[in-house]
Amino acid sequence: MSQIDIVIDNMTFTAEKGSLLIDLLIKHDLKVPYFCYHEALGADGNCRMCMVEIEGQKRPQIACDTLIKEEMVVRTKGENIDGVRRDILELELINHPIDCPVCDQAGECKLQDFYMDYGLYESNIKQSDKVHHRKHIDLGSSVILDQERCVLCARCTRFTSDITKTHELGIIGRGDHACVSTMPGKKLDNPYAMNIVDLCPVGALTSKDFRFQQRVWFLTSSPSICHGCAKGCNIFIDHNREKYKDETIYRFRPRENQQVNGFFICDEGRLSYKKLQDNRQLDMILNGKSCEEAEALEAYRNLLEAGSGKIVILADANLYTEELEMIQIYAQKLGATLSSPMVSDLDDAFADEWLKSSQRASNAKAIEKLGIMTDLPDEKIALLINFNHPNTVSIDAERVISFRTNQQKEPADLILPLAVFSESSGTLTNEDGIEQYCPKVITRNDPAPTVIEWMIRCQEEVE
Amino acid sequence: MSFEFTKENLEKIEALKSRYPSPKALSLPCLWMAQYQERYISLEAIETIGDLIDLPPMEIYRVATFYTMFNLEPVGKYHIQLCKTLSCALCGKAEMLNHLKNRLGLSPGESSSDGAFTLTQVECLGSCGTAPVMQINDQYYENLTPEKIDIILDSLEEGS
Amino acid sequence: MKACQIVSRKFHIDQSYRLETAKEHGAYNTLKEAFALSPVEIIKTIKESGLRGKGGGGAPAGAKWMLMPQDDERSSYLAVNCDESEPGTFKDREIISKDPHLLIEGIIITCYAIKSHDAYIYIRGEYYQFQKILQEAIDEAYTAGILGERVRGEAYRMDITIHRGAGAYICGEKSALLESMEGKRGHPRLKPKQKEPEWYFGNPTLVNNVETIASIPYIIKHGAEGYREFGTERSPGTLLFAMSGHVETPGIYEAEFGTPMFDYINYYGGGIRNGKKLKAVIPGGASTAVLTADEVACATLDYEHMRVVGSALGTGGMIVMDEDTDMVEALKNLLEFYHHESCGQCTPCREGTGWSDTILQRVLDGRGSSEDIDKLLELASIMDGKTICVFAPAVAIVIRSFIGKFRDEFEAKVTA
Repeated sequence: MSQIDIVIDNMTFTAEKGSLLIDLLIKHDLKVPYFCYHEALGADGNCRMCMVEIEGQKRPQIACDTLIKEEMVVRTKGENIDGVRRDILELELINHPIDCPVCDQAGECKLQDFYMDYGLYESNIKQSDKVHHRKHIDLGSSVILDQERCVLCARCTRFTSDITKTHELGIIGRGDHACVSTMPGKKLDNPYAMNIVDLCPVGALTSKDFRFQQRVWFLTSSPSICHGCAKGCNIFIDHNREKYKDETIYRFRPRENQQVNGFFICDEGRLSYKKLQDNRQLDMILNGKSCEEAEALEAYRNLLEAGSGKIVILADANLYTEELEMIQIYAQKLGATLSSPMVSDLDDAFADEWLKSSQRASNAKAIEKLGIMTDLPDEKIALLINFNHPNTVSIDAERVISFRTNQQKEPADLILPLAVFSESSGTLTNEDGIEQYCPKVITRNDPAPTVIEWMIRCQEEVE
Repeated sequence: MSFEFTKENLEKIEALKSRYPSPKALSLPCLWMAQYQERYISLEAIETIGDLIDLPPMEIYRVATFYTMFNLEPVGKYHIQLCKTLSCALCGKAEMLNHLKNRLGLSPGESSSDGAFTLTQVECLGSCGTAPVMQINDQYYENLTPEKIDIILDSLEEGS
Repeated sequence: MKACQIVSRKFHIDQSYRLETAKEHGAYNTLKEAFALSPVEIIKTIKESGLRGKGGGGAPAGAKWMLMPQDDERSSYLAVNCDESEPGTFKDREIISKDPHLLIEGIIITCYAIKSHDAYIYIRGEYYQFQKILQEAIDEAYTAGILGERVRGEAYRMDITIHRGAGAYICGEKSALLESMEGKRGHPRLKPKQKEPEWYFGNPTLVNNVETIASIPYIIKHGAEGYREFGTERSPGTLLFAMSGHVETPGIYEAEFGTPMFDYINYYGGGIRNGKKLKAVIPGGASTAVLTADEVACATLDYEHMRVVGSALGTGGMIVMDEDTDMVEALKNLLEFYHHESCGQCTPCREGTGWSDTILQRVLDGRGSSEDIDKLLELASIMDGKTICVFAPAVAIVIRSFIGKFRDEFEAKVTA
């Protein structure tokens, strides 16, 4: 395929001959409305919104079904084409309930966006004349369907038939009675189901987990990396700090990265944001009682100096590489054995061929690269310092210091709260060796220290 | 509840497979056979067809809901389908409908309580030259008059 | 009226659907001649005959056949369109029930020309009683060695399979028909970017109407010139024109292209029923622009002249309406049809057909206004030229012609 020049809105663009016009328009941010097209799902041509004018063609053409060819001259705007889009939009809205005030999609709804761009007409359609469909259907997998808000773009059904190949959804019926549905009595049930909520351009599919929690225009989207497994799927963390409240994460959404996760993430990863907020370890606990930081640091030093014997440090393989490096240096300094036991992390029940890795530790590759051992020394342990390792192996130690993000049952002499990944920053290396930087997103009112902050504080006291 | 095709139908399906480039082509023929076998298409039948022709049940369900002749719920023993499109409408369809409604005590879309009759209005039956027309099950009845309808229904009632 | 019997020759013969009877009247006689020709020679003859597709579009059949690859590893297929769902059209059922062997003969020749061994006849689900006649004819042909491994002893395998639809007008659209034959919903496909055959499971496929295929044996027997003895220069041959509605003797009558419409209606249809006056005719199945009595008076039944009067020949199925016809009710009837039959795949059609039906209902309920009539016209232009297939543009034509020509009747409903 050769690169050719074409003209769009009096500007020249270079594109691959035979490629889709709509991809070029999207790439260069040339405004074109569309519902059914999606880069992951391809063209379907059903919504008819992405109309453009092409010189030499007597009728407007849809950009998602137009192949780029030599000497093409395209117009994406102007009175004529805006009128065409307005007309089709009006039809999309004919049987739509126009319930934006109570719709959870409001603010990120393509119908709303396009209405502001091309619509702005007076409607004289009476509610009583509309075709009515079923509302708030619990499809399963935490997805709620409102058939009346649906524009039948078939993105969700194409996702379940072409991407997950689980075939739970389909458009049934005919004409303006057509609607998205599962088989009667059957549920939407696949580990990626909630992606259809993101795919849905309107308020037809909403997340049971997110709906009515927050208006989207209050949310800030920050890029991050999912820590659910070693795949390292790219995500957005959508968060907000309401007045007088703490910074809160409302949802994870997939962020496109063709090298890693494409357009999607798994549901388990999507819902894993809860772990960043629920059941957090907030207090410093010394011998079962809350204490102040000065007391805790003194206790730390005392535990460290309480006697000779083997010191073992456990490090969670979800910690950032920078944190692991610092722990590694610290271990050398203490003459301690550093380990990140792996065995319990392999999860075949979770794994699949796509985005879910059996290696649940998101930075396991860094453990390997840093040469950190992954089995436990079987000698007698005098002091165990655990950096958030989900230690399920019963380790018999005389004294235990535990840095924790979340509350755990395992007893420890000293428990110190630790920042979760969204409250810290650093690098992860995914299972394919791709290094990805993860910025700090959340600043809590009363932040738990990060590993690095703890290291500094603890070592200041030691020296 | 489960559905199984009769041995005869299974043989027909196997024979038809050799006539098509893909077994997927058989969704309509199989749906027809299921409907003749049970008078309607059950979800169990859809599952069975899916196994036979290598299609997910949802794909067959989508198909079954697209075509108006497939009944996903049981209909009467005699499914009376009166054509309502233009040529029939021009030639007295309204009168025929009234007659059928009065005679059967049914409105379009309803079935009689004994399960004998279902009355439906349908779009063009492709019999415009002999309007008005109705179809009862697979049989066309053309050039209808109220008297003719009575004779037809009398004979069906006698038969049932 | 010039008598012509290219496809209707055996219609009046008793039991002409039986192989024995059909053979007595010359069925399958052209097979020998056809097999003596090369496939390319047959296609050339069809092209020279000027045969046009008789399913409604009127595209030259020869050009369509030439799109079929003569050398391709993939199998080629023929799909015969017997969906016949266009209101006012009921001609193909005459062929399959009165002369099915003529169709079979045409299928064999067509398949030989496009190097196909498998033909499907896609028949609308409602036509089951006619399908049974056709199936019996096919079975007889198998038994007689006309179909099967060796067509009449020639080294040519030929299988014909009837594929039954199940109630969907849109399946008459050729790509929707193929989708349906692939076991799917009848959704029309996006149009190809260049001229190419149709595709059935990725294999090159020819889709032709029943009557088109049934015309082939005559052309083979009488040559391109023989066919051109009928009709006009650009619309050669004949069509099984149909008449329904307010005429004395509705039915199917084969006539040559170029026949004046008025003469046809009077000669074959016996004029308007009950001595009434003519008001309007929908000339070629519901999806063509309605003609007023004045337009009918100067219309002739061929593709070119029907365009001149602002309509189309379509399927040649005329729906005749007398002076008492309420044109608003008539349009409502058709809009209900389109509303019911829209496949729902693309937005302008799915929403436009339903919405126009709703608006007209409002008008008929006495809740309408002049703006509603304008809104219908606006909807017509929204539906025109923006959809995947020609269903919605056809609805646009219907709405425009009814309101354009009978606006006073619509206005009367909203001011009363």
